[in-house]
Amino acid sequence: MITSIVKRDGREVPFSVEKIAKAIYQAAQAMGGKDYDEAYAIAQEVGKYIESNGNTKPTVEQIQDAVEKVLIETGHARTAKVYILYRAERSRVREMNTRLMQTYEDLTFKDAKENDVKRENANIDGDTAMGTMLKYGSEGAKQFNELFILDPKHAEAHRNGDIHIHDMDFLTLTTTCCQIDLLKLFKGGFSTGHGFLREPNDIASYSALACIAIQSNQNDQHGGQSIPNFDYGMAPGVKKTYRKLYVRNMSKALELICDIKDSNEFAKEIYNKIKEENGVYPTISNDNNYEELEKAAMLKKGIKEKDYDRCRAFALERGLEETERATYQAMEALVHNLNTMHSRAGAQIPFSSINYGTDTSPEGRMVIKNVLLATDAGLGNGETPIFPIHIFKVKEGVNYNKEDPNYDLFKLSMKVSAKRLFPNYSFLDAPYNKEYYVEGDPNTEIAYMGCRTRVMANNYDKTKQVVGGRGNLSFTSVNLPRLAIKSHGNLDIFFEQLDSKIDLVISQLLERFEIQCKRKVRNYPFLMGQGIWLDSDKLGIDDEVREVLKHGTLTLGFIGLAETLKCLLGVHHGESQEAQNLGIEIVAHMRNRMDEESKKTGLNFSLIATPAEGLSGRFVRMDRERYGVLEGVTDRPYYTNSFHIPVYFPISAYDKIKLEAPYHELTNGGHISYVEMDGDPSQNLDAFESVIRCMKENGIGYGSVNHPVDRDPVCGYTGIIGDTCPRCGRHDGEGISVEKLKQLKGFNDLRGYDENPLEDGDKVTHI
Amino acid sequence: MSNKVVEVNGVVGEGVTFERIRRITGYLVGTLDRFNDAKFAEVNDRVKHSISTGAGLMEQI
Ligand SMILES: [Zn+2]
Repeated sequence: MITSIVKRDGREVPFSVEKIAKAIYQAAQAMGGKDYDEAYAIAQEVGKYIESNGNTKPTVEQIQDAVEKVLIETGHARTAKVYILYRAERSRVREMNTRLMQTYEDLTFKDAKENDVKRENANIDGDTAMGTMLKYGSEGAKQFNELFILDPKHAEAHRNGDIHIHDMDFLTLTTTCCQIDLLKLFKGGFSTGHGFLREPNDIASYSALACIAIQSNQNDQHGGQSIPNFDYGMAPGVKKTYRKLYVRNMSKALELICDIKDSNEFAKEIYNKIKEENGVYPTISNDNNYEELEKAAMLKKGIKEKDYDRCRAFALERGLEETERATYQAMEALVHNLNTMHSRAGAQIPFSSINYGTDTSPEGRMVIKNVLLATDAGLGNGETPIFPIHIFKVKEGVNYNKEDPNYDLFKLSMKVSAKRLFPNYSFLDAPYNKEYYVEGDPNTEIAYMGCRTRVMANNYDKTKQVVGGRGNLSFTSVNLPRLAIKSHGNLDIFFEQLDSKIDLVISQLLERFEIQCKRKVRNYPFLMGQGIWLDSDKLGIDDEVREVLKHGTLTLGFIGLAETLKCLLGVHHGESQEAQNLGIEIVAHMRNRMDEESKKTGLNFSLIATPAEGLSGRFVRMDRERYGVLEGVTDRPYYTNSFHIPVYFPISAYDKIKLEAPYHELTNGGHISYVEMDGDPSQNLDAFESVIRCMKENGIGYGSVNHPVDRDPVCGYTGIIGDTCPRCGRHDGEGISVEKLKQLKGFNDLRGYDENPLEDGDKVTHI
Repeated sequence: MSNKVVEVNGVVGEGVTFERIRRITGYLVGTLDRFNDAKFAEVNDRVKHSISTGAGLMEQI
């Protein structure tokens, strides 16, 4: 007699024939069966069978084995099949629960140093309370989506490492990123969801609101936020500040020179009168008839001409000076804010990018100059700012050549980049970028987001091929090296497999798009609610975002082109022209497939050179387990970033740029190339400039120069530090006496080191 | 290790490591210990790219 059954966790519960009958009945129902009595009879058979083996306390597994056996023996093979599948599914769920709990256990009890998951993204601090909470949510969502949302064939391809669905934790929630058009946003003010903000009135509030916009948008999306027109967007703030400061200084001069009481009222009255009657303001460039009008008004009020001229000169000089200072402070605040303000429950600093360099107005130039100087100065203790990512737009006729109006700012940008690693450089004259450029319309100047994302062409609405209000919706990367391994050097097989993976990715992107489309404006209170996203201002709060999302991109990515070529040909594209040709053929093929899909669907499919932070280790780890260590393919802990020449391969900067440039043209969803420069480029700005010019001349779209930036927090030295600090001589982690520190040149007890005005030293806390 | 600079018995900097800022996949990271294992290996493998100025290759442009 069976008394009880033993569950998986060891607990004993009473044996019940009904429960077994119900499970069998469910399986039978799936095959169209309707006979519960028969199911009950089979369940009784199962009981008898177990008893006949002398087992009085069977385990769940033993009962399930018996059910399968009896089903098959009594001629219910199809029901047995369903039952077996159901059982396998249940055990996968169970295994998943265990896996999730294991992940949670690691997140809870291991710190980031021991736990790679916590370091998956280097800018989330996995050791903080909110960072860990974010990870619980993210890991749980990933596994839920894999199990219950994704089409099983997409889930399987992701699980086994054929493809990688990026940001799978956000699968059902939102889209990747957006380029925020500041000019449009600030017009008339906006609401953050926690209160309405008026149209800003000076450069300080422009800068503060830009930060708030980035932060608010970041909470509505899972990727980064970019401002494509930072200089153009901030310039009106400088204009407004200048007006105020001009009038303030005019009033001071009037009081002092002309003995006017209530000079403040006096000056404002004239300013307001001219504003209302003539619609003109004082401007830095003095490009209107404000002076004439002001002079006439003042003379009419009895001010002597000679005195007016003196007041005017004073107001011009001081107004400009103070505007410059206010702009610097606003830019300094922006850099500080973007490095300290938190989003996403406090665990992550917003991933912010700002693009600038082409505004040639005096106000725009002031913004560019001061945001560069603030970055050069660094944070409170002279630390290199991590955010925002600066992207300097290089354009012939604007800033590229000596005679160009912003050439001085291009020069300054390189000086700053040589010290602080930013700006990166985007090239508006690369043919595939230039084709969208319309002179006088900043919205047609190419911009990049964060790591590399690029959104420009608009197949959905060809009248809106602009950067503002658009971004990537989602992207999925294909494991190229695995396809190469599996095709054993046969290119036909390789391309055949590649096509089938591309088909899979397209269907997955479309399925995810369908989920994203069903979201409503209210799900994105800032992004859609405030009209940041293109055309979202035409939607009501309960409308689906389907139509406007079509302005965004659905993107295929890839990593490990170098390992792929190595596997197919024995050499990578840095080593042979044949490999380079094949590399271009492979990437061009992927691009063509995306173009075809765009044509077919009316959507924007694009190809991105995947920024492989979390992925670079995942694919190769799985491939090494499957196929063993293959030289040049799986023998390192990472697959090479997208189309890059491998980082370990010795090559000149010039050759690297030349070889990588053709891939920029093909990867319309985003790309970047790096050059690793030896030594301290601050000491060799000519070499730095020659690299940037080389990128431009060879058709690179987006590039930057890497070099070591080290800092000693004790003495504040920033530069290259080997084993010992060149300034104070201490080793890593070694103490140094305060006495010795004080003897160092430039030491100031209160402010630390100040020998270099662009590099504030560190403060020493005394306890 | 902590990067908070405090003075103890006339000595500062005990246990304070140098910061080494590197570009990871386009954005910067303040210290190498925030890199995941694969990226850490990749950063360590990076070699410099020679830039010949003067009569060198870069002058071909
Ligand atoms: Zn030092």
